[in-house]
Amino acid sequence: MQTEVRQARFADVNDDVVRSLVVTGRNYYIALGIAGFVTLTCFFFPWFYQLYYGIGAAGMNSPTVWGTYLASFIFWIGLSHSGTLLSCVLHLTNSEWRKAMYRSAEAMTFFSLFVAITMVMVHIGRPWFIHWAAPYPNQMGLWPNFRSPLMFDVMAIMTYLTGSGIFIYMGAIPDFAAVRDRTTGWRHHLYVLLSLGWRGTDKEWHRLGWAYTFLAVLIIPLAVSVHSIVSWDFALSIVPGLHQTIFAPYFVVGAIYSGTAGIVTVMFVLRKYMNFEHYITKLHFDNLGKLLLLLSLLWTYINMLELFTGWFSGTSTEYEQLKYKLTGFYAPLYWEMILFCAVAPLLLISRKFRTSFVPMLILSIAINIGMYTERFLIVATTLSRQYLPGSWRVYVPSLVEISILVGSLALFVTLFLLFVKIFPSISIYEIKETMGVPKKHGEHHDT
Amino acid sequence: MTRNALGLFRDPDSALAAAGRLKGAGFERPELMSPIPIHGVEEVLGPKKSVIKRFTLVGGLLGAISGFTLAAWTAVLYVHPTGGRPIITLPPFLIITYEMTILFGILATVLGFLISARFPAIRERIYVPETAVDRFAVVVACSSDDLLQRAESILHEAGAEEVRRIAEGDS
Repeated sequence: MQTEVRQARFADVNDDVVRSLVVTGRNYYIALGIAGFVTLTCFFFPWFYQLYYGIGAAGMNSPTVWGTYLASFIFWIGLSHSGTLLSCVLHLTNSEWRKAMYRSAEAMTFFSLFVAITMVMVHIGRPWFIHWAAPYPNQMGLWPNFRSPLMFDVMAIMTYLTGSGIFIYMGAIPDFAAVRDRTTGWRHHLYVLLSLGWRGTDKEWHRLGWAYTFLAVLIIPLAVSVHSIVSWDFALSIVPGLHQTIFAPYFVVGAIYSGTAGIVTVMFVLRKYMNFEHYITKLHFDNLGKLLLLLSLLWTYINMLELFTGWFSGTSTEYEQLKYKLTGFYAPLYWEMILFCAVAPLLLISRKFRTSFVPMLILSIAINIGMYTERFLIVATTLSRQYLPGSWRVYVPSLVEISILVGSLALFVTLFLLFVKIFPSISIYEIKETMGVPKKHGEHHDT
Repeated sequence: MTRNALGLFRDPDSALAAAGRLKGAGFERPELMSPIPIHGVEEVLGPKKSVIKRFTLVGGLLGAISGFTLAAWTAVLYVHPTGGRPIITLPPFLIITYEMTILFGILATVLGFLISARFPAIRERIYVPETAVDRFAVVVACSSDDLLQRAESILHEAGAEEVRRIAEGDS
């Protein structure tokens, strides 16, 4: 009887997800241990070193006052973009394939934002004054300057962190309830609190549906504004190579691009190591691959446009900037970026490539290496070649900076590993919806 | 004391049909519990209105006003002329307004959700854990034993797999 099969499978989803939370293998602890150790030694230790000896421990100089810390900041903010943004867009367009992957994608958003904010703390040198960015007057009655893009940033990123945190939590309330019934001990108490007393009544589903849709509608313009604002941190300066109107769309496209590649990486890992082969399938990789291809073409187009506007401006400083970017000290990095982000993704034209897991993993990592390079080049090539040749100076990251870059990755991995044991990393009720609603008399239909 | 009849079904259509019959027989509005959202509840049990959209609207408006006020008012509090430009500078202040509109809109939506869906639950409510897995439940409150029996027979007729009696307060 078909219905029997269906019902059994509904229960399977609960079993699989609860198992992913409760049953923890040795490999998980090893992975968590390594990630935690690397975070400690490569992120926190160098940071304390830098706090102790001062910001001079980083390789930043004058005129290159922004270094890999800010490049990492843009990178992590960018990586955060596809998660919640993609999830919202796919929710509003009723895309079924979203349902298996959106939870982890949103978690990626939340933790990338967290790491991004930490990178700002590292960058500012004296993080104990971070509260100066909060909107309150100091003892002389002076408020923060709301005309500064840095204040736009503070407002936008805090709103985004709040919004994406709420969005991921709200979508998970029914799942917390499902997990609540199956766990014991401290986990049970935690899920009782997190589920708020969810019972799955028609009223609750109705309210959740509305609230979730409203949140999705609010978060899409928010996400677009966040990376536009990050781009204005640069574009509102008068530095050649940064002062460009294309920057806002350039950053937004780049952000969604690197974030989508990040989702592919995370999906691969979840599928392989959390035994979610039934839920995360070739279909998801195929769709994500198509999206990546589109984004890579858009990104390439905007890059060409950036070069063109620099050339078309006809000013000597912009010419110098272009020449430096294409042939100067950082040129190998530039061409590496073009190879990884513009040329290699053309492989995605082939369906066979999109549906092969390991090549997709390699490509997604390559794209993110390329995208990190892009962010590094935005900061490094422009600031080191400003107007006066007398103040041209090359910037090379110091060991502390490189170590913190590696450590920030480990910090992200650590947070994500903790997440998959606390949050149901795929959405139980939405997976059930995609499996088809049980029908009377053994008939069924797939949605 | 109010007691409740609860029927467990294997599919949402039978559960919905049972709820419709109960409503037709003059019972209080039955409540459905399900592992996935059931479509078509409003056709059977009457339309539902959600106040969440009002919360979102009011929150967004409040956010817009407070965002602009924050930026403009603080600029006026400590006047700092730069390059002869206006003290209340629209383009940057509109960005602050935009972000605050969304922030307040989000927070108000959450508040609206919590209030209208009555979360968090303070006291015990009727609940059967099977509905979080693969069963669809119909719950109806009955004021007397006669009604309870009638409700139970309606649930049985509608094809309930199991019918239980639950008093308010235990689950």
